[in-house]
Amino acid sequence: MASMGELERTVMDRLWAAGGPVSAADLRERLADRGLALTTVHTVLTRLESKGMVLKDDGRPRRFRPRATREEHAAELMHEVLGTSGDRQAVLARFVGGVDAEEARLLRELLAGG
Amino acid sequence: MLPATAAALAALAALLAWPVPAALGRARWPGRDPVVALVCWQALGLAGGLSIIGALLVHGLAPWGRSLPAAAAAVLTGRPAADPVRGHHWVALTLAAVLAAELTGVLALSWLRTARARRRHRELLELVVRPSDVPDARLLEHPAPVAFCIPGARPLLVLSSGMVAELDERQLRAVVEHERAHLRERHHLYLLPFVAWEAALPVLPAAARAHAAVRTLVEMRADDVALGALPGPAPRRTLAEAIVVAAGGAGGVPGGALAVTGGAVRQRVVRLLDPPSPLPAAARWTALAAAALLLAVPTALLLLPAAL
Repeated sequence: MASMGELERTVMDRLWAAGGPVSAADLRERLADRGLALTTVHTVLTRLESKGMVLKDDGRPRRFRPRATREEHAAELMHEVLGTSGDRQAVLARFVGGVDAEEARLLRELLAGG
Repeated sequence: MLPATAAALAALAALLAWPVPAALGRARWPGRDPVVALVCWQALGLAGGLSIIGALLVHGLAPWGRSLPAAAAAVLTGRPAADPVRGHHWVALTLAAVLAAELTGVLALSWLRTARARRRHRELLELVVRPSDVPDARLLEHPAPVAFCIPGARPLLVLSSGMVAELDERQLRAVVEHERAHLRERHHLYLLPFVAWEAALPVLPAAARAHAAVRTLVEMRADDVALGALPGPAPRRTLAEAIVVAAGGAGGVPGGALAVTGGAVRQRVVRLLDPPSPLPAAARWTALAAAALLLAVPTALLLLPAAL
């Protein structure tokens, strides 16, 4: 049995690949290799909706689409995850923070002269 | 009259609040042995908290006894105070309680907030990251060269596609080994008290200085561990190249704690390209003994019966 996180990721992958709104039944077809019940698909979609990842329309049947493209989502995440405010600095360990252009030039000089 | 113990603890607290962290922050030897320096900073923080709270406590309890054990025993057994209890005793006791509650409370709160933010970030990231060529690293589609790890029970090591594109195989290995070192040695636990206490004591410059120093030392330590795991002829240069690419190319994403990163990144690169000689064993042991003494002195002052 796949974990919920793994299912969510798979559903997002299929939604991003779909290129347009899809219904839950349609989505289940696209996930046929997994043999999921329609209720499971609905559960995953509801969770993704509450996380702000998925939007649904008012049509019948309801159709779902990703709120942002994969690239937009990655860019937003990058901002949220790497943004700094107080405790945020203890949340993750970043390889190296960005520096301004002047400092970057200095670093390259160090490397060239070293 | 102020008991000698309280005066001694107060003097120690004053030293630890400003001159000692200032000297340690300016010293050049920490870069030669980040582990010993990290031990010293932890001892300094703990001894500082212990001595200021201890000084207030000993002073506040002075009417009940000349030393903390004697006074505590008197209070607990309900013996009346031998000397009159004045307003300043109550002020000292209240301050001790407030400070102790604030330091531990902020630490606990910071721990909870950090854990929650980590969980949220991990959940959101796991929806978009893909497996990468490195078994324990995940790939995030983004042009900026960024790498980070989220520590915890289920750690997550993330490389951006920009990072993978801009670095060669050896440089990328250096980045991954650096992040693995953070995770393996649980560097986030070293940082947590300093992040929390900087938030708790924004008026104390030593708190900010200590936090910046510990942050830099943890990065240096991770660099050192990474070097040990890197094959190839010039691991130091490889790692320095990776740092320079990542620091210079992160346009479009938040820079991080900019106030400290600029100088700290340069320190790391200089240290890699022109490594300082390691600390001699004697100096190493002296520093460790000083750290032990730093903890032993306030503890002894608090626990031993007043000899004075």
